[in-house]
Amino acid sequence: MTLALEAALSVALLGFVLAVAALTALVRDVLTAVVVFAAYSLGLAALWVLYRAPDVGLTEAAVGAGVTTALFLLAISRTVRPANDEGLVDRRSVRPRSLLVAGVVTLGLLATVPALPPVGAADTAAFGPVAEYYLTDAADRGVDNAVTAVLVVYRGFDTFGEVTVVFAAAVAALAVLGREALA
Amino acid sequence: MTRTPYADSPVVTTTVRLLAPFVLTYGLFTLFHGTSSVGGGFQGGVVAAAMVVTVAFALGIRRTAAWLDRRALAALVAAGPLVFGAVALTGVALGGAFLQFDVIPIPKATVYATEAVEVGIGATVAAVIVVLFVRIADGYEEPDPEDDTPVDRVAGPLDGSGATEVPADD
Repeated sequence: MTLALEAALSVALLGFVLAVAALTALVRDVLTAVVVFAAYSLGLAALWVLYRAPDVGLTEAAVGAGVTTALFLLAISRTVRPANDEGLVDRRSVRPRSLLVAGVVTLGLLATVPALPPVGAADTAAFGPVAEYYLTDAADRGVDNAVTAVLVVYRGFDTFGEVTVVFAAAVAALAVLGREALA
Repeated sequence: MTRTPYADSPVVTTTVRLLAPFVLTYGLFTLFHGTSSVGGGFQGGVVAAAMVVTVAFALGIRRTAAWLDRRALAALVAAGPLVFGAVALTGVALGGAFLQFDVIPIPKATVYATEAVEVGIGATVAAVIVVLFVRIADGYEEPDPEDDTPVDRVAGPLDGSGATEVPADD
């Protein structure tokens, strides 16, 4: 893929993600918001693939667009849908304080962007000697996917902790629901 | 939202039935191919679990829950930490460090140890998503006076051809 095409694609995808993110906050109907939020996740997943992080993209598509949407749908299927809920939210119902907080957080985050290294800069930490060791050593060991190699072989301790967190979170959620029995 | 009774849409159920084997196979492929291509335990497990959730939406959550074996699910939920711990301790037992894979005396030890860990992670992730989905759906279930059978006893035929009509899953 040429760089120009890639740039155009990423601008289009970023625009789409921004638009659906704003729509998620602005639509009045909760069901519409859930569907638009799923589209937001799908847009992000496409962006990850474009930025050569297909492992993250796959997870984002399945968790963000798939499972999270299903859980949201389950939750709202038990709520009452107001009769008059089309279009966007009423402007009078938006609190200025909330807008202010959202604006300040956004500006604060944007202020950190200039501190990031440019895309592909050779002197960033990502291109240090450790990365090179990981890439060559993982190939020597026969693990061709460097992401998997880092997750399990070099940072196995972190991943062990993560899977334990998933397990503990499930146990805790079931305990809170009062349903220790599984299916 | 008014609660409408669960209705079979032939388009939805047929699509899901056609898709399910392929998506589940893709989930397993992603799971087992994590060392050589995109994917791994987490991704594969999530893909498989998302398919189960889709099946539950299309064919009815309680009916899908009835097909699940609770002992197998419990084993799958615990598989990740157990397998990871076992593989990690194998390194210690063979004189290496905790989580050291290359002391295991098999060819391509790192690859197979990684695969084992990935299978465990995939099992835990998939089972946790399925269990949470089913339990949350069940937690909201309105009590049905005519049906006090526990969920795991109302197993219907896999083809779901109307022998057991399970009510109201939307």
